[in-house]
Amino acid sequence: MATLTVALIVGAVLFGIGLYGALSQTNLVMIMMGVELMLGAAMVNLVAFWRFLHPEVYAGQMFVLIVMTVMALEMTVGFGIATGRFRAKGSVEMEEAGDLKG
Amino acid sequence: MITATLTILGPLAAVVLILLLRRGASALALLGTAAGLVGAGFALAGMANGARYAATLPGLPGLPLRLVVEPLTAVLSALVAVVGFLVVVYAVGYMKVEDGKVRSFAQVSFFLAAMQALVLAGDWVLLLAAWELIGVSSYLLIGFHLDRPAAASGAARAFLYTRSADLGLYAAIFVLVAGTGTSEIPATFDVGGPSATAAGLLLLLAAAGKSAQAPLHGWLQDAMAGPTPVSALLHSATLVAAGAILLIRAYPLLPPGVLLVVGLLGGLTALVTGLVALAQTDLKRLLAASTSSQYGFMLLALGAGGPFGALAHLVAHAAMKSALFLGAGFFQHARGSTAFDHLTGAGREHRRVFLGFVVAGLALPGVPPPGGVWAEDAVLAAAFGAEDAWAFVPLAILGTLLTGAYVARALRLLWRGEGRDTPVAGASWMGAGLAALAVLAATLGAALPPLARLLGAETEGLGLGAVFGLAATLAGLTVGWYVSPGRLLGPLRGLAESGFRIGGGFDGLVARPALATARVLSVFDDSIHAVVLGVGRLGFAAGRASRLADERGIDGLISALVDGVRRLGGRARELQSGLVHKELLLAVVGAALIFLLLATGL
Amino acid sequence: MIQAVFTGLFGLAAIWFGVVVFRTASMVRSALALLFSMAAIGGMFLAMEAEFLGVLQLMMMATEMAIMAIFMVMYMMDPGGLGGMDMTHQKRASLVAGALGALGSLAVAVLAGWGPVEERVPAATAQVRGLGIEIMERSMLVFETAGVTILTAMIAATAIAIQRRR
Repeated sequence: MATLTVALIVGAVLFGIGLYGALSQTNLVMIMMGVELMLGAAMVNLVAFWRFLHPEVYAGQMFVLIVMTVMALEMTVGFGIATGRFRAKGSVEMEEAGDLKG
Repeated sequence: MITATLTILGPLAAVVLILLLRRGASALALLGTAAGLVGAGFALAGMANGARYAATLPGLPGLPLRLVVEPLTAVLSALVAVVGFLVVVYAVGYMKVEDGKVRSFAQVSFFLAAMQALVLAGDWVLLLAAWELIGVSSYLLIGFHLDRPAAASGAARAFLYTRSADLGLYAAIFVLVAGTGTSEIPATFDVGGPSATAAGLLLLLAAAGKSAQAPLHGWLQDAMAGPTPVSALLHSATLVAAGAILLIRAYPLLPPGVLLVVGLLGGLTALVTGLVALAQTDLKRLLAASTSSQYGFMLLALGAGGPFGALAHLVAHAAMKSALFLGAGFFQHARGSTAFDHLTGAGREHRRVFLGFVVAGLALPGVPPPGGVWAEDAVLAAAFGAEDAWAFVPLAILGTLLTGAYVARALRLLWRGEGRDTPVAGASWMGAGLAALAVLAATLGAALPPLARLLGAETEGLGLGAVFGLAATLAGLTVGWYVSPGRLLGPLRGLAESGFRIGGGFDGLVARPALATARVLSVFDDSIHAVVLGVGRLGFAAGRASRLADERGIDGLISALVDGVRRLGGRARELQSGLVHKELLLAVVGAALIFLLLATGL
Repeated sequence: MIQAVFTGLFGLAAIWFGVVVFRTASMVRSALALLFSMAAIGGMFLAMEAEFLGVLQLMMMATEMAIMAIFMVMYMMDPGGLGGMDMTHQKRASLVAGALGALGSLAVAVLAGWGPVEERVPAATAQVRGLGIEIMERSMLVFETAGVTILTAMIAATAIAIQRRR
């Protein structure tokens, strides 16, 4: 019981930090870092639930694998976009990216 | 009876046909009056054989309309028919150069029909209606020349004078019908006492107005602005006769006191208007004053107790005066005006017309053998035989003198001077009518005894009155021929010329106050009108204000709505900043909301 | 007990390094801090007896963070963080959002009744075997989809990043 709670608390705090970072950073790469942290927090929660509530159901671990895949993919595509943007505008600062202003 | 009513129906049919067909007016009028003449002749013949006709028509409840053909009414009807026919014959010639034939002949026929109805009336209601109708016809006929202001004012004056006097007739009829409960004329004469006196005086008022007696004599002068056939028909023989006819028919009603007043009024009028005639400078106005004077004679005779004398004089005067007027009309066409200045020598150039004029003119004061003398005799005989002869006789003698004087003056002014040779259109028709009337004037004397027998009156032979009368006539003729009016009248000339107006005359006493009252009432009416209009305008203003408020209100609402939506849109637009971090924030908020919804189980 | 301690220690480390990620001005240090945070998370996995996952995490994160560090240096204005500029925006909103998120999760974590805790866990090899069978049997579709998605992502990223032919 105690370990589960600990893990969950950790997950919660990491999520909060990651959210703060994703919203407050101007650079695209930093935003991606925040997202990574959030995903990491999710993974922690998942593993904790698998380990302490249903260790014999491996779908939990499967979920974690998927989340890891998503992390990787997100980084891939994100950096691809960053490259493209950098090539077009010369910077990846999100403050200047108001092209879709309505 | 039906043939007798042809006297009314003939002219009436002529009116209707003329107005419907609008052509051949003169022929239709001639036919109508000829039919009337036939009817009147038939009625008179019937009277001679002792027949009496009567007819009752539906009228007011309890007061049916009656037509009565008895000797008196038959004689009068024949008079009107004969004069009417001859004047229409004359008018065919007179109107050859004038416009408005349809109007004129229709109006003359209408007048004749109304006059016949008045003469044959057997009850007061029909008489009153006919009385009013002849007043209207007179107005229409005098004002015939629509473009002459003198004609319009003359017609209005005539109408106002006679209409004011007609109030007397209304009041008298009221008294009589209320007193006896029936409107049949002979029956109402049974009312006695003060009602009879009152009725008699009121009838005198009405008669004085219609017959142009003093002080109501002014209108006849101004009525001469109408065409001459009108003057000949209406204002010598028929319309002005209506007053005398009224009094002759009402003779059985009048008590002795009223008769005295009647006689004195008549005599005074004869005198005053005789002076007026002497001072006139226009032939027709002279003849008009003469008409008033002669009717004064008739009233004098009536007052003296000789209704037959009045009737005889009426019949004779009708022929004489219309002949004189027709002659005046002929001279008017020849010279273009009726003022004596323009007519000098007209007698010389149209001698046959002048002859007719002379015959009728001499008959007027009573020169034998023309018929007028016998009528004058009757009048004078009545005057001499009356109870108050001391008042009547001098008036009669003086009146005869003046008559001779002004006739001689007129004849002299027409004869003296150079004759110009001017052709006159329609001379043959005019001459025919004039000639017939002149012949009548000359020969009526022979008809008087049979007339008297018919009416059951006695005629006296030549008596004292005849002698005095003849003497006065000759004296008057001589004086009038040789002495000028200025020397005759002296200081009275100006007054006489203007017609002896008293106290500002009719204008000052009646017309102007009436018009002033009318103006005040008109202002009052206008103010009411303005109030009504104001209410209407108020309604309109209220409508406009409501519409304005409506528009502004609704417009304001709509623009407020539009503004609000636009502002809201602006705010919403701010969400779409295009900046990634803001959108991320929105995504986070949205996700939290969804999570909440899912968690609370909605 | 020991498990709880280790999990807690690794967790604290993860948190600490996570904070450092956003507090430091230098980009490289930021990347390295993230690496250590991820490594600490891997350590937590190991402490919770999910060995395969823990090793996997450590290996993947090491590579990823290295790459990230390279990209950072490439694209950042001030990689060394010596300029002293404040590279944040909407701070208050972010703080609020982060705090609310953390608190919400904390509340759920602490207050929710998760049920009885299983003490026994399969051995590591058995876990790997079971995971393999899970992938191949039940979650085959997921696996396949993930594979296709990875391929798509690779192609997409390359397509975006390619320089346009003049």
